[in-house]
Amino acid sequence: MSDTVLTTAPLSGTKFFMNFPITATSHSLADYKARGGYQALEKALREMQPAEVTKEVSAAGLLGHGGAAFPAGRKWGVVKLGDGEPHYVCMNADEGEPGTFKDRWLLEHVPHLCLEGLIIGSYALQGRHAFIYIRGEFDLSHRRMADAIEEAYDAGLLGENILGTGYSCDVVLYRGAGSYVCGEASAMLASLEGKKGWPRNRPPRLTVKGLYQKPTVVNNVETLANVPVIISRGAVEFKKVGTPKSPGTQMISISGHIARPGVYEVEYGYPWQKFIYDDCGGMQGGATLKCIIPGGVSTKLLSAKEMEPLTLDHNSALAGGSQLGSGGMIVIADGTCMVRLAQVIQRFYHHESCGQCTPCREGMGWMERILNRIVAGGGRPEDIDRLYQISTANDGTTICSLGDSAGYACSAILDHYREEFEYFITHKRSMYDGRLVVDDPFSGTLATTGARA
Amino acid sequence: MIEFFLDGVPMQAEEGQTVIQAARANGVDIPHFCWHPELSVPGNCRICMVEIEHDGTDPWFDISCNMPVTAGLKVLLNSELAKKIRKDTMAFITLNHPVDCGICNKSGECTLQDYHYEHNGAASLSRDPKTHATKFFPLSDRIMLDNERCIMCTLCVRFTHEVSKSHALGAVNRGDHTLIRPAEDANFNADQYSDNVIDLCPVGALLSRDLLDHSRVWYLQPTASVCPGCERGCSIDIWHRKHEWKLTALDPRMNASIDRVTPRENPAVNGLWVCNKARDLAHLFERPRAEQAMQRGAAVELSEGIAAAARLIATSRNPVALVSSWGSNEELAAFHAAFAQRLRAFVKVDHTPQPGEVLEDHLLIKPDKNPNRRGALALFPALPDDVAQALTPDTDLVLVWGEGFDGALIPDGARVIRLDAFAHDQNAGADVFIPVSLQTERSGHYTNFDGVVTAFSACFPLKPSIAHAESVFASIIAALWLTADAASVQLT
Repeated sequence: MSDTVLTTAPLSGTKFFMNFPITATSHSLADYKARGGYQALEKALREMQPAEVTKEVSAAGLLGHGGAAFPAGRKWGVVKLGDGEPHYVCMNADEGEPGTFKDRWLLEHVPHLCLEGLIIGSYALQGRHAFIYIRGEFDLSHRRMADAIEEAYDAGLLGENILGTGYSCDVVLYRGAGSYVCGEASAMLASLEGKKGWPRNRPPRLTVKGLYQKPTVVNNVETLANVPVIISRGAVEFKKVGTPKSPGTQMISISGHIARPGVYEVEYGYPWQKFIYDDCGGMQGGATLKCIIPGGVSTKLLSAKEMEPLTLDHNSALAGGSQLGSGGMIVIADGTCMVRLAQVIQRFYHHESCGQCTPCREGMGWMERILNRIVAGGGRPEDIDRLYQISTANDGTTICSLGDSAGYACSAILDHYREEFEYFITHKRSMYDGRLVVDDPFSGTLATTGARA
Repeated sequence: MIEFFLDGVPMQAEEGQTVIQAARANGVDIPHFCWHPELSVPGNCRICMVEIEHDGTDPWFDISCNMPVTAGLKVLLNSELAKKIRKDTMAFITLNHPVDCGICNKSGECTLQDYHYEHNGAASLSRDPKTHATKFFPLSDRIMLDNERCIMCTLCVRFTHEVSKSHALGAVNRGDHTLIRPAEDANFNADQYSDNVIDLCPVGALLSRDLLDHSRVWYLQPTASVCPGCERGCSIDIWHRKHEWKLTALDPRMNASIDRVTPRENPAVNGLWVCNKARDLAHLFERPRAEQAMQRGAAVELSEGIAAAARLIATSRNPVALVSSWGSNEELAAFHAAFAQRLRAFVKVDHTPQPGEVLEDHLLIKPDKNPNRRGALALFPALPDDVAQALTPDTDLVLVWGEGFDGALIPDGARVIRLDAFAHDQNAGADVFIPVSLQTERSGHYTNFDGVVTAFSACFPLKPSIAHAESVFASIIAALWLTADAASVQLT
């Protein structure tokens, strides 16, 4: 098994982002320009009208990469140019979804690409100020982005009269303070305004009343990083990559019981099976795949069997009963106790629930307490139904979608592995005891990892 | 107007109204905790969730407080789904709420208690211990916060941000350990409207430290009244013990005491709020009372005092009256009818601002701390700042009605008649002193600075030794008729 890991061919397909060797200076402006950076900005500012930029992005069919896969062009199109109001573009770099760390790669290695996308986006919406809300824990990302902004200002790519075209834009870099919910667009704007990071009810949509009550577009880092690609290549060329309904590439961050975890750029439509077993080197230590969380813990998990026919694009994931989400893939090997997994996930949601609206505020803690009790051996037969009931009561009744997703995460585990919960409740112990059955590469015999007794 | 349907009943709504507003305008109260007509819409309690009937297959439901009414919108408030969501939401809300109604001060007027019976009523589904939080957190000198009872509707926070503008409250922490706390850089004690959050609180989380464990609300009844604290004349409810729950064993004074004051909605005057001075009316009214008529300090019968006053008036040549700016319109009219021809009357200022008292602000508080100066000034001139202009040296009788006039300003040799509700040292120095009733013992009207006339009703019975000023004036004028000099009394 270990041989196959080493002989796996490298990931094939078009690369928009991961197409250069990483060196000590590859993130700098000089290197970025040498790779053709900021040509898209020049093209957009000199040759295109703002509306044309939006049109190009719409034509490219660029989908949001933050998780919801909402068409970026349609979002931009809602903002009316020349309505006399200031418009804002916000880069959502508050990447906090467990399992997702793709934006971090972009911010660390191609900060100028992200910045270029932000400036082009801001130009398309005629914003005078653009904002970057970066996750507080991202230290290197923050430093790289801060440096990139400084370099861009020095090179006349930001500030007054960019490249002599008459367009002016200033970028505000803002660091979050460690709240998951601030990755939700409206909570992020509240946090940017200096308020408590609580999501806001829609209507009004953020593109109507967003930051400081002005039309605002909030886009994920990867979404904005795609914009210069679209502008320089053209929508037609861009659409040739990926599938018709999900054009382009997706940055996948894969973690868990996988041989080669990390960030990969894949074309939409890439076979899932091939990605995991060939490109990522298969399961860690040759274990068997039990299930996979496809796009961050907020998406419903898929069993190995369900995953088999799927390809890495939004429609396929939806057809499979889940979502591609933010591409934060967590691979789970056979032998993992799903009750404890649910407990860990629920502990996260309980900790990160913002406390604003009732179902999530009370439901997250309730679910965690039930799971804690099951794990402590105090489970009752009615607990499983109660968990389902709380998940359902959360679904669609909360202000933001984080409440729903927490319910999905739990109910999907219950749907797939109900017997593990029943076992735990009856026997007061896990079906698996947290041990993974793996092929020990050192002894060549079957051994256990994890709780090595 | 737009037509929409609520549970199949056609209703009219105005453009821009939300479903909850439109339903309310049509007399249907959609359950709500966090929504308030005067405050912003946070949509966080989720109890006002309604279902929308539509052609699609997926159920469509959303909160009615943030849903604009559109033409033909079919709102279902009592569909099975809407009922289920309300029940689930109530289960969530009561999950960590202690449901300690038996010992809660809010019990009896608590929204959560009502909704629990109305929309859930079932025992808790949870077997796990409830989360614990701070009990008896002193939010200010006036307000106690029980964090376990708090359901995070944020009405209090929004009130301090949007109405009182003190920005003194906020929420700290996340999730089910979120707590309402005073803001670090603001002073909730200085918020002149802080007690409104007690009324706003839909649960028993925010409690008046004055009323805490003092009385159950169902022993109390409200009487419509007007706050005399300033010329705004806010409409209030004075809460006092119900007659049928009269205490017979404990201190009988508790039967005639002001237990609390709450605002009474009056869009023309105070909207939905009152300031803390109104809440403290008990301090203003429950000062030592004057209960005995006196003649030069010696106790006399009330009728005797009235007769003596009539004699003094009858024999005086140059009498002056100082009219109370706390008198009701009825009393002032009676005074005018009785004495306008006979006495030179001036309106005096009964109460001046106390040291440290807020003179005027953006919301309700006005600088003149008397409730009916406008009503009095409609009948009589104001007392000049230089009192000597009114009380000329030849003044031989001064009738002082109400508080706040220093006896030292009265010219030497002038006789003094005083009418007052409260015990003051100078009462005994008057030639005749007549105790009069308090606002809480009579009915009447005040005219506020804006000319709006508001009514107040009697809360407590009057003691036999005390008279209404109105009847004192009538009695004096009757006595004047009966005295020898009847012919000189001019009928008006």
